Amino acid sequence: MSNSVDIVGLLEAGIKAEGFRQKTIASNTANIETPGYRRLDVNFEELLAKAMRSPDAADVQDLEPEVYQTLNTPIRSNNNDVILEAEIGEMIKNSLRHTTYIRLLQKRFAQMEAAMGGQG
Amino acid sequence: MTIDRVFGPIDISVSGMQAQDKSMEIISSNIANARTMDAGQGTPYRRLEAVLQSENEGISPVVVGDVAQDMSALQRIYDPGNPQADANGYLTMPNVQLPVEMMNLGVASRTYQANAAVLKRYQKMVETTLELLR
Repeated sequence: MSNSVDIVGLLEAGIKAEGFRQKTIASNTANIETPGYRRLDVNFEELLAKAMRSPDAADVQDLEPEVYQTLNTPIRSNNNDVILEAEIGEMIKNSLRHTTYIRLLQKRFAQMEAAMGGQG
Repeated sequence: MTIDRVFGPIDISVSGMQAQDKSMEIISSNIANARTMDAGQGTPYRRLEAVLQSENEGISPVVVGDVAQDMSALQRIYDPGNPQADANGYLTMPNVQLPVEMMNLGVASRTYQANAAVLKRYQKMVETTLELLR
């Protein structure tokens, strides 16, 4: 593996995934009383780990987050499986992850600026 | 996934909120059916109670393991004018005690709040850590 890991690309991919996940959480909470609605989730981390493990360094920015229906959650009588508390928990985790990535990105750009020595 | 360790407290607090949510659903069923003479099979409603369990040993989220029926004696009320009274003039009523339910409601809602408070505090803690990244 090359030692110049594309930090900005990785963070960008992560932020994109968090954006997707926020959308699915919004969709889940909006449909909390919709009969027959099954909650959506995003799979990104596993795809990323797989891509990073593979020998031919796949471009992480080509990685698309995968939206899927969770099928092992208990369903209520109206065939809906959204639990408000669980969605709130997911939202908090998502926003903390998002903040982490944004802060790391800020740090990275600050480093670059320092390297450029304030020119331009 | 190692990230689960960081977010462990969030999952545990959420499980506590969910469990109390379920408890509250059961309490509302008990109160709504406090005078239900026919709970389906012609017998009076029996009060229900949530049995909370740890999901695993040690540090663990909570789950509602079972919704159990309260098998204590049903109430007998003397009301000979009631069309559902038996030959001696007695009615068999559910074993729901409203004061008990109201007390359990208070416990459930306070526990829910406590879990939400832990969740919020933990979120603040992680945000403090993230401040160091600025």
